[in-house]
Amino acid sequence: MRDDREQVLSQIRASLKTAHLPTARATVPPRVSAGQGERAAMLENFRRELELLGGLSFLAQSDEEAIEIVLKLLRDVGGKELLSWEDSEMPVRGLGDALQASGYTRQKVKLAKDAAERKNKLMTLERATVGITGALAGLADTGSLALLSSAARPRLASLLPPTHIALLQTSRLFPNMASFFAAYPDITREASNLAFVAGPSRTADIELVLQRGVHGPKFVHVVLCDW
Amino acid sequence: MHTPNVTFHERVDKALRDQILHTALDRATGRFQTMRLSALASLEDADAVRDRARLIRAHTLSRLDAYLEQFATNVEKAGGHVHFAADASALNEIVNEIARKHDVKTVVKGKSMISEEAELNRALESNDIRVVETDLGEYIIQLAGETPSHIVGPAIHKTKEQIGELLHEKISIPYTDDPAQMTAAARAKLRREFLEADMGISGVNFGIAETGTICLVENEGNGRLTTTAPRVHVALMGIERIVPNLDDLSVMLQVLARSATGQKITVYTNLITGPRRNGEGDGPDELHIILLDNGRSRVLGTEVAEILYCIRCGACLNACPVYREIGGHAYGSVYTGPVGAVLTPALGGIAAWNDLPQASSLCGACREVCPVRIDIPRMLLVERDQATRAGKMAWWLRLGLHLYSFTVTRPALFHAATTFSRWGSRLAAAPTNGWIKRLPPPLIGWTRSRDFPAFAKKSFREQFEASHKK
Repeated sequence: MRDDREQVLSQIRASLKTAHLPTARATVPPRVSAGQGERAAMLENFRRELELLGGLSFLAQSDEEAIEIVLKLLRDVGGKELLSWEDSEMPVRGLGDALQASGYTRQKVKLAKDAAERKNKLMTLERATVGITGALAGLADTGSLALLSSAARPRLASLLPPTHIALLQTSRLFPNMASFFAAYPDITREASNLAFVAGPSRTADIELVLQRGVHGPKFVHVVLCDW
Repeated sequence: MHTPNVTFHERVDKALRDQILHTALDRATGRFQTMRLSALASLEDADAVRDRARLIRAHTLSRLDAYLEQFATNVEKAGGHVHFAADASALNEIVNEIARKHDVKTVVKGKSMISEEAELNRALESNDIRVVETDLGEYIIQLAGETPSHIVGPAIHKTKEQIGELLHEKISIPYTDDPAQMTAAARAKLRREFLEADMGISGVNFGIAETGTICLVENEGNGRLTTTAPRVHVALMGIERIVPNLDDLSVMLQVLARSATGQKITVYTNLITGPRRNGEGDGPDELHIILLDNGRSRVLGTEVAEILYCIRCGACLNACPVYREIGGHAYGSVYTGPVGAVLTPALGGIAAWNDLPQASSLCGACREVCPVRIDIPRMLLVERDQATRAGKMAWWLRLGLHLYSFTVTRPALFHAATTFSRWGSRLAAAPTNGWIKRLPPPLIGWTRSRDFPAFAKKSFREQFEASHKK
């Protein structure tokens, strides 16, 4: 396949000899440390920001409380088909059993390499009304969730269904993205996808009138596991 | 870059007469500006963050060759493919070849300015590949057969009534001017496309050299779906779109959404490092990243290299009094507004685009709002100078300037000319309260959209002499 790598790089090198780049320095000075946040303040911030974005948050003090909240949310949405991360990836013990006992089925997200099989699978996954995930972290300043993909943590669970329920441990709150990256400097080597999600999907492409729920979930509920 | 076949002045005239366009532009750019201001206010020490963002852009470009090599190595280490495209046709050729290899029939696309720049859709369609834009604004534009008029809001030149009629006609839904219903209709229509597409094509906001990661920001979820559901993901980026590491990325993200849409951060910030890994249930099996040069490496060596700092937030468009009057299409290029007025001639050649640097009053609003403080007015002047040197000045302007310099370098002649103009203008303006409604040719253009004031009774020289006699 055509590749102009050498041509492009050598033109860049030639241009850099005469480049006029105002304020360019040899290095960018390091930043003062982003610092640690205080948990109660971060929790309050996170909830406020998420709500401003149109998301909802629920505080749970135990596994049982968290399960009760999730089941209530599921009943409100309706539908029995779900997508989710594997139980080991979610911070609530006993959730899988509770879902099964209440008659919910979970489709395994496993897309084939073959084109036709892949499309068929996507069509069945599309029926799910709710996606349930954990979260690697929460960013307090923007009300965002950090979702890291893996075999047990499919991306589609937070993307395809109209409602997304995320279970976030309050011990995993960070003040902002910079402090999160400082704590996980090699995070992008661990997985092919890291998504920060700030509330329900939205658009303002028609006269800048805000609409929630476009291609991603219309509802984002975060259950804060505070124990 | 493809040059339009009507002149800049004809396009501007058309835009200025378009009342519907003005309604749409007023509604959109005004709101964009208010939201930007309140978002920046939410940032502690916004000025320091902007300074740092500028430092990062300048530093990265000063070592662009090394960072690009580091980026490419790390993408490949993660299992992705990297292609460099010297120009638009190389990019189109590469995408078509990937599509052929995977027997691609349908492509879903996230928003990409690079794709617009290279006119990729047309290149794919000529190979019988169906291309579906999935960003709502881009989808509207595609149905209308138009080009985006704004970097961030591709369809902001359209009113909701126009969009309602368009959707009614093109996707056969009952007419509505309710944005909620229109959005829901587009979602339903596009859902199936995502699931059935063979390839997803996206843009890239930043490439992270240290990790080989690409970062895509978006609000609708179409970007995440485009890069997750189809078997193959092709990401298009300009070669200048690199940042050294993740911490630098977090700085750029602090200013990007705030400047673009007034959000603290976009709903989705998607960091992709290679295709799906062993055992992963979703995500593409192949990832191709195409780096487009198309003149950027040459621009890097010129006086307007600073335009490559741009992070495509669109804030300068909303702030620009010229853009707000004429909209994006009058620029005739995919890059519009102040940034487009500099970038388009830089990439496409001043000979073909000599009018664009003139589309500014040099008021400096663009420089003021730019999150990385690009000195756009300085570069507009550089390009005006280039245009003049290239012999691109209109004959009447050249003649006028010659006459002017002939007159002002001859005191007696200058005095006679000012005396004549003063009494002439006062006479002409006498019936209309000191304002001239219509100047004679060749100055008639000036009074077409505004009045011209009569000259003062006493000239500056007379006043100066009088005050010094005392």
